Amino acid sequence: MKHFTKWAVAAVVAGVTAGSAMAQELYAPNLAYRTGPFAATGIPLMNGQADYLTMLNERDGGIGGIRINGEECETGYSTEKGVECYEKTKSKAIVTQPWSTGITLQVLPKTNVDEIPILAPGYGFSPMADGTTFQWAFNTPSGYWDAADMIVQYLEGQGSLDGKTIAFLHLDHPYGKEPIPVLEKLAGEKGFELEPIPVGLKEMQNQSAQWLQIRRLRPDYVVMWGWGAMNAGAITEAVKTKFPMENFLGVWWAGHDADLKIVGEDGKGYKSISWSFPNPDAPVMADIQTHVVDKGLTKSNAEEMSGVFYSRGLIISAILAEGIRVAQEEYGTAEIDASQLRWGLENINMTEERISELGLDGMVPPFQTSCANHTGHSGGWMLEWDGEKFVKVSDLLTPNVAGYQDLIDEKAAEYAEANAPWAMNEECNVTN
Amino acid sequence: MLYRTVGQFKTTYEADQALFPVRQDAVLLGIILVLAWVIFPLTASEFTFQAILIPVLVFSLASLGLNILTGYAGQLSLGTGAFMGVGAYACYKMVTLMPWMNPVVAILLSGFFSAGVGVLFGIPSLRIKGFYLAIATLAAQFFLVWLFEKWSWLYNYNASGAIQVPNLDIFGVYVTGPQAASVTEYYVVLFVVTLLTMLCINLTRGNLGRTWKATRDMDIAAELIGINLMRSKLTAFAISSYIVGVAGALYVFSWKGAAEPNVFDIPLSFQVLFIAIIGGLGSILGNYLGAALIVGLPVVLNLLPAAFGIPIDSAMVEHLNIMIVGGLIVFFLIVEPHGLAQLWRLIREKLIIWPFPY
Repeated sequence: MKHFTKWAVAAVVAGVTAGSAMAQELYAPNLAYRTGPFAATGIPLMNGQADYLTMLNERDGGIGGIRINGEECETGYSTEKGVECYEKTKSKAIVTQPWSTGITLQVLPKTNVDEIPILAPGYGFSPMADGTTFQWAFNTPSGYWDAADMIVQYLEGQGSLDGKTIAFLHLDHPYGKEPIPVLEKLAGEKGFELEPIPVGLKEMQNQSAQWLQIRRLRPDYVVMWGWGAMNAGAITEAVKTKFPMENFLGVWWAGHDADLKIVGEDGKGYKSISWSFPNPDAPVMADIQTHVVDKGLTKSNAEEMSGVFYSRGLIISAILAEGIRVAQEEYGTAEIDASQLRWGLENINMTEERISELGLDGMVPPFQTSCANHTGHSGGWMLEWDGEKFVKVSDLLTPNVAGYQDLIDEKAAEYAEANAPWAMNEECNVTN
Repeated sequence: MLYRTVGQFKTTYEADQALFPVRQDAVLLGIILVLAWVIFPLTASEFTFQAILIPVLVFSLASLGLNILTGYAGQLSLGTGAFMGVGAYACYKMVTLMPWMNPVVAILLSGFFSAGVGVLFGIPSLRIKGFYLAIATLAAQFFLVWLFEKWSWLYNYNASGAIQVPNLDIFGVYVTGPQAASVTEYYVVLFVVTLLTMLCINLTRGNLGRTWKATRDMDIAAELIGINLMRSKLTAFAISSYIVGVAGALYVFSWKGAAEPNVFDIPLSFQVLFIAIIGGLGSILGNYLGAALIVGLPVVLNLLPAAFGIPIDSAMVEHLNIMIVGGLIVFFLIVEPHGLAQLWRLIREKLIIWPFPY
């Protein structure tokens, strides 16, 4: 019965919003994945995204007086469904959020023709940082190459890396291979040895072979680029083989609370770099409580809401909302279109003041985008699992982008050449 | 009534052996061809092209290829996805090494590479049968996907390990890549599919097709009447893999635009196998019906709640969708285990004798 009322309320609310939606709204679809093999990680992210937009709609009546329709289109993380969803939503959408490296790679060239901005926060193709080449793509606030650089920086802070061995445990997939160029470059510079250990998509849950290899290698550190079931697999395997957890680090997508809860105390010391952090005392959380949770508009629960992934979803929506606001101010209209939002997203200036104005204190580092810099390179914090939750163990780390700027330029140029004719942003004369 | 054959007299053997001895069949096919070649391109939206028309045609073609091997020649294969991959990677290498090449020619040529690989993995079929052969083709599946991942020359040493379709044009009109209009991509797919379907209908009715059917029905008997089993099985592997390879090239070049190795993994093989089984093994029409059911229907079902204004979560729609399509598959297989093509055959027979069943 309780479920039924919940559904009925949801139906009425959705009906009302759908009714008013006809009037005026900004359509910002999300290619969500609440089903399929990656659903466990997708649901908190999607809930965070949806709740932030609902909060804005409830509290302020949207952004600049116009409601935001963050409708989800279910992909189940499948690239085929991704195309379907992209095509279905693109006619009215002001933004597309592809949510998987595979879908991003597929949608990236299309958005350049269809002129819709892609918002891929913290994922996708790292050279998207080059805003003059990828004028429609945004991976704010930090990309994978930034993550690789920050992890190496952090490890260097623990002592010189010269002569050390770092095993790079990664998903054998475009996503997992992304940081290799930067890691290889850094290995050359800092003098450590990089040992890539791929995990096939079929072996995600059974990594005994990989961990046997790690035991034989005796690396000083293991850096993990994992996703979905691979993270839990690796963490339990590390506990089983008694690998010292404090030497085990992951990218932001490998820092899901639920994966660590499986091992609890044994996972103590595991680290994950992150550009988002759950701060239960932030004003935004209180607003979500009053305007979303208390009204029964959320699909989330208290435990999930205190996690890293929920707050990351929230930040992603906050970045989108900020882009919309900037565009509205620039063009003096609430009903912005896709190309105006593009301008907004490349002129975000998330200063400390702005972050606390939005009530996101301590949840995201400050960053600024420009037409040449679509990532912002915000940097991030090293989070550590203390047995119950993730805590910050470092000050804000900022990536040394200059170290791989030439790599970004080179790969971006390669991409543009392979996809010729490729429309570039010729007007942009800023350099980063 | 509509299907009355009264008055259609055949005065020559040729007329009796025509592709469509019943006039209504020919008319029906004509209507479908007009729909596909004229009406759909004029009316369809970009979404319809990208989410329904192109994928249904591509999957029909892949299933047609598999049907030659499994339905006509009786050799069970679980490697379809990997053979599609061979076609796609071959096409990608050809157009990047030889950018002057006509993309449609490249797509048609890429099938020869998968045909070669198919014959290679078909050799065990000379010694083993049935499930054992399925395991041998499964080996192809695993080996080839592994190769797509590890052999970086195949994807031009891309950091991401994925292949991206370049913009290619014929006489100034883009036919592949993001710059290509959906309708152009659709025509390329439709042209290739129509061409290969005609080829297959004729092949399966001819000498080679009869050889395959004899091999399928009882290989010892076939051998005793003088059929060379090696030739029969290997041609089936070659032609089937050719078509599957072309379907793979179209899958990436005319539809997806980018692909990483794991899209050619075993779920794709199963999907194509299911289309062939539900459509009907040993039929040409069945591939199209099966693809419409498995590839097209879920997309249409996904649109329904929004079309009727029913407020329902996208994830919920997806769950319902999986249940409905799954239920339909079970239903059709119970009603007609020989597939949708057989169902149509029965309906057609009933229509011909209606309203006076004997």
